[in-house]
Amino acid sequence: MLDTLRHVTTPELIELQLRPAGLLPRSLAWTIDFLIRMALLLCLIPLTSGLGRAGGGLWLLAYFLLDWFYPVFFEVWRQGATPGKKALGLMVVNDNGTPVGWGASFSRNLLRVADMLPMAYGCGLVTMLCHQEFRRLGDIVAGTLVVYREKPVALPALEKTAAIAPTEPLDRATQRALLAFAERAASLTPARQEELASLLPQLSQGSYGPQGAARLLGLASHLIGRRT
Amino acid sequence: MKQDTFELHHRQDWAAFETWLTYAALPLRQRNAQQPPFPAHELPQRYRHLCQQLALARDRDYSLSLVERLHALVQQGHDLLYGAQGNLGQRVWRYAAGGFARDVRRERWWVLAAALLLFGPQLTMMLAVHLKPDLAYLILDPQQLSQIEHMYSHEVKNLGQVAREASTDFQMFGFYIFNNVSIAFRCFAGGISAGLLTIFALVHNGLFFGVIEMRLIQAGLAENFHSFVIGHSGFEMGAIVLSGAAGLRLGFAVLAPGQRTRSAALAHTARSLIGMVCGLAVMLVIAALIEAFWSPLRLAFPIKLGVGSLLILTPLLYFLFAGRRDGS
Repeated sequence: MLDTLRHVTTPELIELQLRPAGLLPRSLAWTIDFLIRMALLLCLIPLTSGLGRAGGGLWLLAYFLLDWFYPVFFEVWRQGATPGKKALGLMVVNDNGTPVGWGASFSRNLLRVADMLPMAYGCGLVTMLCHQEFRRLGDIVAGTLVVYREKPVALPALEKTAAIAPTEPLDRATQRALLAFAERAASLTPARQEELASLLPQLSQGSYGPQGAARLLGLASHLIGRRT
Repeated sequence: MKQDTFELHHRQDWAAFETWLTYAALPLRQRNAQQPPFPAHELPQRYRHLCQQLALARDRDYSLSLVERLHALVQQGHDLLYGAQGNLGQRVWRYAAGGFARDVRRERWWVLAAALLLFGPQLTMMLAVHLKPDLAYLILDPQQLSQIEHMYSHEVKNLGQVAREASTDFQMFGFYIFNNVSIAFRCFAGGISAGLLTIFALVHNGLFFGVIEMRLIQAGLAENFHSFVIGHSGFEMGAIVLSGAAGLRLGFAVLAPGQRTRSAALAHTARSLIGMVCGLAVMLVIAALIEAFWSPLRLAFPIKLGVGSLLILTPLLYFLFAGRRDGS
């Protein structure tokens, strides 16, 4: 299969679709996070250097925490996304589609050291490129996925056109195609609408040009049940 | 039912659910100030209705945008419902009160193997250096050795004095955490290389400790050395052995996944080990506290020895006896 979509069945027997994110967006997200961490550590230097030797200890502690727990904190408390991932619209989820918890998030970030071997995320790169769902070693061990976070789409209202009853029964595929056409109509130029309508002479029934497209919209109106 | 009627029927429910989703994403303080669109206990039922509506919409070939919208709502409801974290404080407390000890006892053979891989090379190296002192140079070069000997070569006459300033203590605390916990984490994660990196880390550390200990004994600094390390050694070595055990266990899941696929076996094993890794990290934090603030105190050797033995016994007794009441 070329499609990378992952289907997950919830206990309610509903199929959810997850879109795993590939190498490039994830590397970019990592780079953003890396820069943020570096900036934080650099900002801490003048603050801690005022405290003498104890400041040095404090800085090392901060470095340790940022190194191992920065992603864990954001993944558990900020809807599965570090600032970098959020910027690229990604999030970490368990492979059954549920949000990650402490254990899974900690495992996948602990395993970063294995992914970094032998250098520059070599292992992680290879496993990600070989894996159907772009998982690095940490993702495999923790059972997690990095997916695109989908924003809820606004429902485009179908254009108000008079409903036209079809003269003969339409099969499901045709109904679906008609609805899809009507929904996209708002984003298509009139010329393109007419061109598409002319591909379906049996539906537009001899009316070409603007009338053909209008007839298709009318049929769609009828399908969703408008009676005006 | 036609799509238009369907939407008309459920429009209000969907809007309420959407409002609830934005409401649930608010921080706690703002949430308390607002009135939720429906009480929280209605969420599961409303979510199930939404699931049913999505199934109907898909089955009846309603328009794609409606299906997508319902799918998005269901997905967010699903995250909210199934992503709820249990009471973290309570989970941590339960684990500390016995779960950790039970996990360690469950993996006792791996703990034993890791202990052998750490202490075996250490004892071997001690014996080897005892018989032939030059063998020490296999592991460390002369410069490093003399540096280490210098570290412990203070006079023991200033009893009761603090060896260094408090700010240095804190600096060392930061360093011990950074260094030791990172080593332990790497020791565990390295297990994914079929255990090879873990074995390497354990053996390497064992050889290293063996050489240093024997050389310091030979240099007549045994008392200084032991009075420094005895306090934190129980927690520190214990945690390193546990991280080795966890690493070996993970490596074994790669080698012999049993009746699971390799990745399923890895995920399953990691899930059962991650608590132990958190536990040993806490042990290392305790060890770092002792090492930074207690170990450098220059007190009479018997006092250090007595307190040190107690500190070694603490984790041992914990792992042997804690959490026995609720099984294993």
